[in-house]
Amino acid sequence: MLDRPLSPPPVEVIVAVTQALHREARLLDNEDFEGWLAMLGEDIGYLLELKSRRFRADRSKPLPLGPGVIFNEDLGRLRLRIDRLKSGYVWAEDPPNFIRRAVSNVEVLATRAENEVQVHSVLVMHRNRIDGTTRLLTAGRTDLWRSEGSAWLLAAREIVLDHAVLPDSNLNAFF
Amino acid sequence: MRFERIGREPDYSRYMDLKEGWLDRRIFSDADIYEEELYRIFARSWLFVAHESQIPNSGDFLTTHMGEDAVIVARQPDGSIRVMLNSCPHRGNKVCFADAGNTRRFVCNYHGWGFDTAGELKGMHEEYCYDAGDIDYKNHGLKNVAKVGSYKGLVFATFNGDAPSLEAWLGDFRWYLDMILDNEEGGTEFIGGCIKSVMSANWKFGVENFIGDAYHAGWTHDSGCRSMNDGMPFPPIDMQNSYHASVNGHGWEFGTEGVGDLVLLGRPKVMEYYNKIRPKMAERLGEMRSKIFGSVASASIFPNVSFLPGISTFRQWQPKGPMQFELKTWVIVNKNMPDDIKDEVTKGVMQTFGPGGTFEMDDGENWENCTTVNRGVVTRHERLHYRCGIGRQIEHDTLPGIVYRGQYNDANQRGFYQRWLDMMTHDEFGKMPARPEPQLGNVAETRDLPGLFAL
Repeated sequence: MLDRPLSPPPVEVIVAVTQALHREARLLDNEDFEGWLAMLGEDIGYLLELKSRRFRADRSKPLPLGPGVIFNEDLGRLRLRIDRLKSGYVWAEDPPNFIRRAVSNVEVLATRAENEVQVHSVLVMHRNRIDGTTRLLTAGRTDLWRSEGSAWLLAAREIVLDHAVLPDSNLNAFF
Repeated sequence: MRFERIGREPDYSRYMDLKEGWLDRRIFSDADIYEEELYRIFARSWLFVAHESQIPNSGDFLTTHMGEDAVIVARQPDGSIRVMLNSCPHRGNKVCFADAGNTRRFVCNYHGWGFDTAGELKGMHEEYCYDAGDIDYKNHGLKNVAKVGSYKGLVFATFNGDAPSLEAWLGDFRWYLDMILDNEEGGTEFIGGCIKSVMSANWKFGVENFIGDAYHAGWTHDSGCRSMNDGMPFPPIDMQNSYHASVNGHGWEFGTEGVGDLVLLGRPKVMEYYNKIRPKMAERLGEMRSKIFGSVASASIFPNVSFLPGISTFRQWQPKGPMQFELKTWVIVNKNMPDDIKDEVTKGVMQTFGPGGTFEMDDGENWENCTTVNRGVVTRHERLHYRCGIGRQIEHDTLPGIVYRGQYNDANQRGFYQRWLDMMTHDEFGKMPARPEPQLGNVAETRDLPGLFAL
C-alpha cells in the first residue's frame, strides 16, 4: 500500500502515454501486428477475463484460477497468435473483418518506480464481420507502461470485459 | 409426465435418410421444428446441469438452463442435489439472477416470495394479505424436476418421469465416458470458471462437430495448428486404427495413438503427467482405453454436451432459438492432479479452445454461416451430404457401440441424427429402438467388466 500520495506524473509523460494508447489502437486496427509487438515489453502479462454474475452480498473467495479467463498470455504466446493471424490460413478472416477501436477515459497515475506509470482506460471495439453482422464490445483496462530509452512500452495489461456472456462466437482481436 | 404440443404430428423421417446419408437443411432453422425439439428432446432427455465439484457445500447453487427452461441446481443440507425451475409460482419471475453462490433462500424480486434451497415456499412479504385457504405453501414451491442423477461427478436432470435410469440412458457409452471421468483414482473436477459466449447458429452444429467431425480439423484449424506446431500442418490420420463409436446418439471419435490431443494442448508438462500415469490407466481401464485417451478425439453426449478428452475442454450448447445458442465452457481435470498441472491444463484450454483460443476461433463462424445460409428459401430445400464412410461399419472385439473404421467419417453424426429422429418420432421411451442393443449388460462399473471388454 502507498503510505503517501504520489505527485501526478509530468504532463509530457501523460501526453506520451496517451499518444501511445492511441497509436496502439491504430496499429491494431490496421493489422500492423509487428508494429504493435514492438510496443510491448519483454515481460508483458496480458490478461483478459469475463465477469461472473454474483450477488452483492456474496463474499465467497474468487476461484483460485480466476473465473472465465480468456487470455493469459506472455510475449511468446502473443507472438504465436500473431503468427497464426499472419499465416494465410485463417479462412474465417478472409476477407478481413472491419475492426475499429476507440480509447477513452485515460487516466495516467504515478507509481513508485520512476520509469513506470499505471494507466486506466476504456476500450470500445466495433467489429463488423465477414457475414455483415456487427458486434460492439466494451472493456476496462488497467495497464503498466514503462519508459525504456525514448519509448514507452506496455509492460502489463489487465482487461475486464463488461459482459457476463461474450456476445460473439469468438474473440480474435486484441484489446 | 408429457409436454408434447397438441395438434402436430409431422413425419420427421422425411427430413433425413441416414441409410442414404442425407439431411434436410430445414432442421437447422425451422421455428416449428425447433419448438418441437424443445418438447420432444429437451423436455424428455437427461440433460447435463452441473459437475458435483461446482457445488460442494450445503447451500451452494448455480443457475443454468434445461432446454430454454431456467433452472437452479442446489446442494441440500443432506448432501443431495436438487434441480428446480428458476421461476416463481406466483407470477413467474426469475427468483435467482446470480450465476452461482451460496444461500439459504431464493427470494423473488417482485413480491418477496421466499424459497429454501429445496424450492419449498417459506414465506412472503406482507404474508397477512393471504386469508386462510388462499394458498397452500406445500404446493407452491419451485417446481422440482422429475429426476436428478449423477454419473462419476456429472450431474444430470430430466423433466421426464418416464425416462430410463441415467445409467441406462448413458448405457454402453459409459465405457467411453470413463476414459475422461475415471482414468485416475479420485475422479474429476471443474476448475476455474465458466466462459459463456453466444453464437448465431443452430445448436446441433456444435454437437455434431464434436461428435464426429475430425475431418474439419485439418482444414478449418490449419492456421491454429501451424502456429502451435512450428509451421507444420496436421499430420495425416491413421484411417486403419481410428474409429467412430455411437451409442444411442452419444458418440466418440478417436485415434489409438494416445498423444494427438495432448500435443494440440501445447503443454509438455501435461503430456509428461499423462505419460506417467498411463501404465496405471491401463491397469484401471484396460490397455485399449489407455491408448485411446489422449489421442486425437472428440465426443458428445446426447443431446447437447461435448468435450475433448486430453484437451480437457467440457462444454454445453444451450439452445436459444432455432438460430442461436449459448456456449458454456469449463475445464475438467483429474482431482488428484498436482496444482501446477491443473494450472497448465487451464492455460492450455484457454489458449486452444476458449473463445480466444487458437482453434476455437475458427469454428464459430462456420457454424453461424451454415445456419444462416441454410435458411434461404430455395437453399433450405436442398439436401446436405452426410455419407462419408457409410460402408465402413465393423464389428470390433473390444469397442462397444456402433463402430466404424476411420476417424474421418460421418458415422457418429448419422448416429446422432438417428437418435434425434427416434426422439422426435416416438411418444414413449420404451418404444424407441436401442442403437445398438446394449452389449455390456447392467454393469455398475465398466472398470470391472469381465471378458473381452476389459482388454
